[in-house]
Amino acid sequence: MKNQIPTEQAIFDHQQGSEPILDKTWLSPTGFFGWFTHVNQRKIGFRFVVTSLIFFALGGLLALLMRLQLVQPENTLMGAEFYHQIMTMHGTTMMFFFAVPAMEGLGIYLVPLMLGTRDMSFPRLNAFGYYVYLIAGITLYLALFLGMAPDTGWFSYVPLAGIEFSPGKGVSFWTTMITFIEISALTAAVELIVTILKQRAPGMTLNRMPIFVWSILVMSFMIVFAMPTVMVGSVLLALDRTFATQFFVAAGGGDPLLWQHLFWFFGHPEVYIIVVPALGIVSTIISTFCQREIFGYTAVVLSMVTIGFVSFGLWVHHMFTTGLPHLGLSFFTAASAMIAIPSGVQIFCWIATLWGSKVRLKTPMLFIMGFFAVFVIGGLTGVMAASIPFDMQAHDSYFVVAHLHYVLIGGAVLPFFAGLYYWYPKMTGKMLSERLGQWSFWLIFVGLNLTFFPMHQLGLDGMPRRVYTYLHSMGWEDINFFVTCAAFLMAFGFLLTFINTFISPHKSKSAGSNPWQADTLEWWAESPPRNYNFRHLPVVNSRTPLWQKAPIHKVTGIRADRRETLITTLLDAKAQSVCIMPTPTYWPFVLALTVGFGFLGFMFKPILFVVGFFLSFFAILGWLWPSRPWLAEKPPEEGHPIRGLQ
Amino acid sequence: MNNEQQATNADIDVSNFSRHLNGRNAPIWWGIIGLILIELSVVSAFTVTYLYLYMQHPQWPPNDIELPPLLIPTWSMILMLLSCVTMYLAGKSVEKSQPKGFVIYTFASVFMALLVLWIRWGQFDNFSMSWNEHVYGSLLWTISGFHFIHIVSAAIGTAAIGFFGVAGFYTKQRQIGVVVDTMYWNFVALAWLPFYFVLYYFPRF
Repeated sequence: MKNQIPTEQAIFDHQQGSEPILDKTWLSPTGFFGWFTHVNQRKIGFRFVVTSLIFFALGGLLALLMRLQLVQPENTLMGAEFYHQIMTMHGTTMMFFFAVPAMEGLGIYLVPLMLGTRDMSFPRLNAFGYYVYLIAGITLYLALFLGMAPDTGWFSYVPLAGIEFSPGKGVSFWTTMITFIEISALTAAVELIVTILKQRAPGMTLNRMPIFVWSILVMSFMIVFAMPTVMVGSVLLALDRTFATQFFVAAGGGDPLLWQHLFWFFGHPEVYIIVVPALGIVSTIISTFCQREIFGYTAVVLSMVTIGFVSFGLWVHHMFTTGLPHLGLSFFTAASAMIAIPSGVQIFCWIATLWGSKVRLKTPMLFIMGFFAVFVIGGLTGVMAASIPFDMQAHDSYFVVAHLHYVLIGGAVLPFFAGLYYWYPKMTGKMLSERLGQWSFWLIFVGLNLTFFPMHQLGLDGMPRRVYTYLHSMGWEDINFFVTCAAFLMAFGFLLTFINTFISPHKSKSAGSNPWQADTLEWWAESPPRNYNFRHLPVVNSRTPLWQKAPIHKVTGIRADRRETLITTLLDAKAQSVCIMPTPTYWPFVLALTVGFGFLGFMFKPILFVVGFFLSFFAILGWLWPSRPWLAEKPPEEGHPIRGLQ
Repeated sequence: MNNEQQATNADIDVSNFSRHLNGRNAPIWWGIIGLILIELSVVSAFTVTYLYLYMQHPQWPPNDIELPPLLIPTWSMILMLLSCVTMYLAGKSVEKSQPKGFVIYTFASVFMALLVLWIRWGQFDNFSMSWNEHVYGSLLWTISGFHFIHIVSAAIGTAAIGFFGVAGFYTKQRQIGVVVDTMYWNFVALAWLPFYFVLYYFPRF
């Protein structure tokens, strides 16, 4: 029963000639079937990023279709039903299938590298989260191709989304897939939190943690507290639609406004879930391209944490026109204005960092500069919309469409693309073409301003959002024509970056391990990193380990012949214990299939949910089944009851 | 470990560190805390939903529907709390290297959970209102059902742990599985407290 592994067999990573063994230990199986067994964090993170970019492209194509329909009044390119389907899919894709997975994917890829560890805490859970995301996305797009896509907008307001007014399968797809994909976001969040808290390199106290890691930590905690609410909301909506429960049905004592509360209690933090990691990217890139430490590290970190907290008190500003009590509304106006304070602190810290330094204006930095301009405009219209009298006028008009795109493209897409240009060399070992990058940036920047700025005017002229066409006599046609042309300009800009990522691996020069002379640990690994991330686990004694003159010390005594990584204490990051990590396996994929079966089955025959539940149980059992030889034991020593190592 | 003297200006040797992680030094311990935080958010969302809808109605439950009796849910509450004690004793048995005690206490907990499920099933039959008549009924059924499913999964998981225990898998060094299962069990048991008060006491005030 207890297969003792003889001590002489143990090979440690500091021993001579252990490198090939280390490499083999952390190898992901090759081949088509091997693909479904991968658990290494870099593989999964890379998949998240690539998949989210594909969804970004799909969402963008849907937006272009919408613009084509709106290019002239009373256009007959598509009907109202199809327009509303692609409009809903555009919003759902960009929020749930691009923004959140993209930021999480970047976190999954980079956080372990920045922390100086070999993998995340729960590698198999990581893989499971990815498959869930993939299955949810494919299902929703299949529904679109079958003409069964949801058509009630990305926030699916009841009673429109109730069974009475949306009898088809569309909204059911939405509720089921939203619940399903939140599982993916939540698993990644828990995993990121635990990895950040317990697997930092020795010496990397919380006070020395890279700002990007801080931003991912704040994002993950926000996900943990915000996403369950939308899961509850969409489950209740699904029950209303399937079993005729009465949660949102006024006739049965339910309350349609309850849906709005549940949705926006998630929906507003959601915006910051996307923006906070982007703020981390901005700080990181500014620091690197100015070659100096970020000004006011503590202030920047505290502002991100503050944004995280305050963002949970803003949700009602999406509901100003629903007739809620005025006193309550005023509170939410105040909270909405309050978020400007931590945001302002960050902006001033960035300005102070930039002040007097020689800024290298390479593509990543250009995108950051674009972020400043666009995000500030979005913030200004945000302050306008946060005041109730103005919001009463602008609500549900194109003004809001302009505002939200400024905030989301400025606050998330531009920083994400900055990050893409910045970390691409780490992920692939090759630089992206600088010339194409600059072209791409300027096209995107000019294109997005020409697209969205005129929409403010359209909104003030009274054009409502979410309409599939408009009349000649309204006088909106010139601006709409202009906006459609500009949208194609912006799309061309994004296309250039996509082309860039495809051709650069073949054309451009090798990046080397630290092409930007950055300070954080991910640049200490090779580009792309080897299977095991770092040859030795590092010991850290400053915030900018790669800018120190002193050599980086290492952790010795980690086994090379099995997947081991170091666990450190929560606050001070002192070496605490060594954790044996799981190996590649099919089970996460199987579990994602069984859970997906349960959710999809529920839509057609509720009893199939129970079948999926029990199938999932067996998949979990297979996943957790202890593999022999079990870790052997040694009688406990005096004073150290659990230090046994063979 | 010699944490106090651990310096960061030299190599650190960890070859003699423990590979048996049984508490807060194990990532899974923190992972389960994360899971519990998520579920706690779900529990509060349900509770707030109940209170929100309760406040919308001058008369609750509607149309002189009678309130569910208190005695039976109180029994299931007591059983749930008792099962936390047996789970605790099961963990203690592993700690003291008493595999037999572990198996007995684990299956005692599972048995109590099954008893609770049986009681609950009977309650479903006796609810005074169906889920599709009024939102009061919807809440009663959904919240009870939500917790029902959780007991089912905790019971199945713990039964699996019990069978691993029969196979002799858990020892003093290898007990993290029991530790985290107990954490989740306690959460499922205690999550009934807010629901119990909201569903059975609140409408009486």
